[in-house]
Amino acid sequence: MTQQILVAIIVTLAVMFSVWKLMPARRRLQTLLALDSWSARRPRLAGWRQRWLKPRIARAAGVGCDGCDAHDPRSQPPRR
Amino acid sequence: MDAVVESTPLRVALVGVPNCGKTALFNRLTGSRQKVANYPGVTVERREGERATADGRGLKVLDLPGTYSLNPTTLDEAITRDVLLGRLAGTPPPELVICVVDAVHLPIGLRLALEVKRLGLPMILALNRMDVAKRRSVSIDVARLSSELGVPVVPTVAVRRGGADALIEMLVPARWSATRSVNTPAWQESSAEDAEQMQSDLRGLLAATGYSAPRESRWIGYIDALLLNPVAGLLILLAVLFVMFQAVFSWAAAPMDWIKNGMAALGAYTTAHLPAGPLASLLSEGVIAGAGTVLVFLPQIVILFFFILVLEDSGYLPRAAYLLDRFMGSVGLSGRAFIPLLSSHACAIPGIMATRTIPNWRDRLTTIMIAPLMTCSARLPVYGLLIAALIPARHLGPFNLQGLVIFGLYAAGILSGFLVALFLKQFGGKRQYSPLMLELPDFQWPHAGNLLLGLWERVRIFVSRVGGIILALMIVLWFLSTYPAPPPGATGPAIQYSFAGQLGALLQHVFAPIGFNWQIAIALVPGLAAREVAVGALGTVYAMSASGDDVARQLEPVIAHTWSLATGCALLAWYVFAPQCLSTLAVVKRETNSWRYPLIMATYLFALAYIAAFITYRVMS
Repeated sequence: MTQQILVAIIVTLAVMFSVWKLMPARRRLQTLLALDSWSARRPRLAGWRQRWLKPRIARAAGVGCDGCDAHDPRSQPPRR
Repeated sequence: MDAVVESTPLRVALVGVPNCGKTALFNRLTGSRQKVANYPGVTVERREGERATADGRGLKVLDLPGTYSLNPTTLDEAITRDVLLGRLAGTPPPELVICVVDAVHLPIGLRLALEVKRLGLPMILALNRMDVAKRRSVSIDVARLSSELGVPVVPTVAVRRGGADALIEMLVPARWSATRSVNTPAWQESSAEDAEQMQSDLRGLLAATGYSAPRESRWIGYIDALLLNPVAGLLILLAVLFVMFQAVFSWAAAPMDWIKNGMAALGAYTTAHLPAGPLASLLSEGVIAGAGTVLVFLPQIVILFFFILVLEDSGYLPRAAYLLDRFMGSVGLSGRAFIPLLSSHACAIPGIMATRTIPNWRDRLTTIMIAPLMTCSARLPVYGLLIAALIPARHLGPFNLQGLVIFGLYAAGILSGFLVALFLKQFGGKRQYSPLMLELPDFQWPHAGNLLLGLWERVRIFVSRVGGIILALMIVLWFLSTYPAPPPGATGPAIQYSFAGQLGALLQHVFAPIGFNWQIAIALVPGLAAREVAVGALGTVYAMSASGDDVARQLEPVIAHTWSLATGCALLAWYVFAPQCLSTLAVVKRETNSWRYPLIMATYLFALAYIAAFITYRVMS
């Protein structure tokens, strides 16, 4: 039974991840922006929004594909 | 208002002619790892990075596509002009421009610097590649250049650690606060008189700074004459590509065996230590037999990109472009199509984006349409698996037979691309051929740091794909191949009763004429997301069909025993053409701003794939 529950969780996560990765870039950005405006009204999510969501929005706004990093604007932490 | 300006990062834009080292300087300033190469046209869109400063305000650095002038002739050059003028939506004009000028070829870069200076934006001139300039006895009076231009001039060596320290010291936002402008820069199209005046200013400037042209090495002249010779040059190019594909198979054999054995050991360990049940099945048949099978091809990817990066960094590739220019013109392709088509061998997506450098729309569309025919690195695991399973690992004289086959497949991709271009030329009406105007970069030894960084990036991309989308799709496929469970008393393998098995049985009617069995039909469906997913899917499907015994984890022998040579070759032919990559079609839609072209592309490529696989299967069986 434990195995079945674990497998169900893993498969559900895999389905969600696949749908997310195969979503068109524009739709993905729209989803992130919707999530951003939803979390903006919840002060408890401020830290998560800043650390997790904002960088992903910036990335989604500039990335054309998942297949190569030639156009990925991710950079290392700002240099001093 | 001032308080807001003072607290926001200083917006800095890097501008310069193509291949002067802007992206290398961008990487140095921001710590990014954007692709740099020794040929023009690598950057075709703006890129942004950040740098913290001591006063806490920071810098926002923009890397812009290279341009020879602010009067653009191509889309990528228009991006540079529009960003500088604040015309690009969501991008205010920069508050400081770093004009990057190649010190070795000072006159070309200075001309653009004079144009940028006329915009009235605060500017620093970065005199890049000063190390090479010194080696080649180029003399420049930096202080005089600075006083004549009226802007700070800083010597830099962007590819060397610490080579931009002097420039970084100058990038203190407070220093530029006084000159920050909120006005839109002034600009108008230059007239013939403007151009003449600019040329005259440039000559005066060069004379005042005591510029002397670089000393040319006699040996470099001989090498260039050989490499650019229409006969000898072509033979050398073919030999280089030939050695590359031989190495992909010969050198990768040992590390591939290590990974394969590691995966087999991991599979055995999982089966031995987990109680039988769905979790054990998911791990051994879905994760290890699926995603693990794709990971085996990492050494081949590394070797292929090692050669590509060496050729890029050395300055050889633009010479190859020059060699093929006339031929490309004869099949209706613009000379500027070479770099996009070359990039497509790594991945069609940057290749399609690089077509922005082609000024003529119809030329650009032709290049976009044939870019997916160039053999991208995602095809390599498919080719590698099928060739290793079906082609004997023996030598024909000094040549590895498997290497010869893969060379043939790459050649087939290029040849079919040219044939499609020729077809489009016949039906696309008369066009004026636009010849390739390309500045040949200097030869240089490949930079070890660039090489390692480039290889590391490829490894990271490949492994993250295997551990990301490929792994997720394999888990989904495992689920679809396991459920629903077979009815009581069923005699065949359980997968035949599953969702995936039923889909495979349906699709088999479509694929039977080209020799594909139901396992291949199933693998092609998740393989639509990305080509290499099909390899993992085959691993999972065969592992499920063979009720999880150890043999099933080694996909190659299973294919060798159960497929005919005709089926294997038909699948290879299918993969030369099939547009099994949704991201590519999405980028075509974005670049052409229409669904029409990706639909045409998918239709013609699937039709070609089916016809090629059909002919191959029928001829070979």
